Amino acid sequence: MEETKTVPEEAPKRASALDSPAALVVLGPWLRLGAKAKNLLKESCLAMALLGRVLIRVPYIMRNRELTLVQTISIGVSSLPLLVVTSIFTGAVATFQCAYQFRNFVPDKFIGTAACKMILIELGPVLTGLVLAGRVGSALAAEIGSMKEKEELDAMEVLNLDSLRYLALPRFAAFIVMMPALTLISDLLALFGGWLVSVLSLNMTTYTYTSGLQLYFQTKDLYSGMLKSFIFGIIICLMGYVSGRNAGAGARGVGLAVMRSVVSACVLILIFDFVVALCFF
Amino acid sequence: MPGVKIDENDIMIELHGLRKAFGPQQVLRDVTLDIRRGETITIIGQSGGGKSVILKHMIGLLQPDGGEVRVDGETISTPTFFDTKLIRKKMGMLFQNGALFDSMNAGENIAFALREHNRSMTEEEIQAEVTEKLQMIHLKPEFRTKMPSELSGGMRKRLALARAIALKPQILLYDEPTTGLDPVTSDVINDLIIDMQQKLGVTSVVVTHDMASAYKVSDRIAMLYEGRIIACGTVDEIRNTNNPYVKQFITGQRKLPTA
Repeated sequence: MEETKTVPEEAPKRASALDSPAALVVLGPWLRLGAKAKNLLKESCLAMALLGRVLIRVPYIMRNRELTLVQTISIGVSSLPLLVVTSIFTGAVATFQCAYQFRNFVPDKFIGTAACKMILIELGPVLTGLVLAGRVGSALAAEIGSMKEKEELDAMEVLNLDSLRYLALPRFAAFIVMMPALTLISDLLALFGGWLVSVLSLNMTTYTYTSGLQLYFQTKDLYSGMLKSFIFGIIICLMGYVSGRNAGAGARGVGLAVMRSVVSACVLILIFDFVVALCFF
Repeated sequence: MPGVKIDENDIMIELHGLRKAFGPQQVLRDVTLDIRRGETITIIGQSGGGKSVILKHMIGLLQPDGGEVRVDGETISTPTFFDTKLIRKKMGMLFQNGALFDSMNAGENIAFALREHNRSMTEEEIQAEVTEKLQMIHLKPEFRTKMPSELSGGMRKRLALARAIALKPQILLYDEPTTGLDPVTSDVINDLIIDMQQKLGVTSVVVTHDMASAYKVSDRIAMLYEGRIIACGTVDEIRNTNNPYVKQFITGQRKLPTA
């Protein structure tokens, strides 16, 4: 039998002032915040690398059209019921709050104008992004994480099947197509919610509301919202995939990956919302 | 045991001084092993000892920290070089839990890789191939429509084997093929491993701690202990070894046997 070598023990670390309990109490939250920021940055970098690798595979999209269609239905059609409820109620609440703030100061027709601007530029895309990050981004992270846990991703590699082509590309394409479409639907539903409140609760006529919608309407408002939704779609898909791919072992690992995907997608959506607003307005 | 003629000098897989650590844990310290073309070799060792890690190095799922992996005369990985695309076409692997694609039925699990790698094949030819593979693992063609969740543990492993052989590999790697199965089903899997060697002429590497399985399917057995191969020999040589660590393992004793 061959001799087995023992691994030498590590030398004890030198005590530092930063290791004292008082320093840990003061620095602890900052260190934790730093670690979280570092993780978010790391996942964002991985997501950017993944984006490049997915883009290289775009020519294969027609070969995978069936997989893409399945994902498009799963992401788009299945998300509609939740989107209908959130959009109508958010549009209604936003319009109601506008009316409350404008009372006695601003004519009624400007309520429609405010609602239109708010919904097209901000509420529609951001709300759709956050809803889809919670509903679809989390499901994507859980699916990829559990595939990793059950060695299905390894099995694909062993069979010489490109997991990015079969898993990431169809989802990526589905997100890019469906996010702007869902945002447009969300915009219309939110405006419908605003109309319901205006007519049923604020004693406005349909004409007053719709003329307010047209007042000061700029196509830039709509385009900026669509561009945001396009970017948010990429963010949700990438963060869901990257988090799932980096999931730890077991149910806890998959659970944490799901949480990470939603948190990082939501944070990035809010950051990019600001960036696009800076560029457009 | 399986009775296939093996040339001792015709080496299919060579592992030289393989080292691998995960964080602070040094799993493989110095694994050196030659696997001959056409033989079935079983790697035994304690759970968590790094047996599956060796398999993952052979098929290029892991890159070593030190040493070299050569397959069919070609270097596939060293700490600075990693190219596994070509050798993967020569290899198939049966994962511990099958690793079947849960979203596809049994037939699609086999057909998926076939369809993607043989684009000239018609759908009829692919379905005929699927039926043939199902017959090879003694599953009826009706099973093709079953989802993996509807199959028993033994059936899942057989289906995973059918998927692994669909691309006609020259090397088959089995990661604990009988773990979690009852003795009768385990024996069915053992017979299939022998069948694959005899009918397809594949080189097989089996990782297990099931000694009944190891004795039945192996031409040679290698023992992994503390990150090194401490013994390698025929089934009889291993049975009659004087190495206390091997003796302890194959007889299933808690304490090292005294000389």
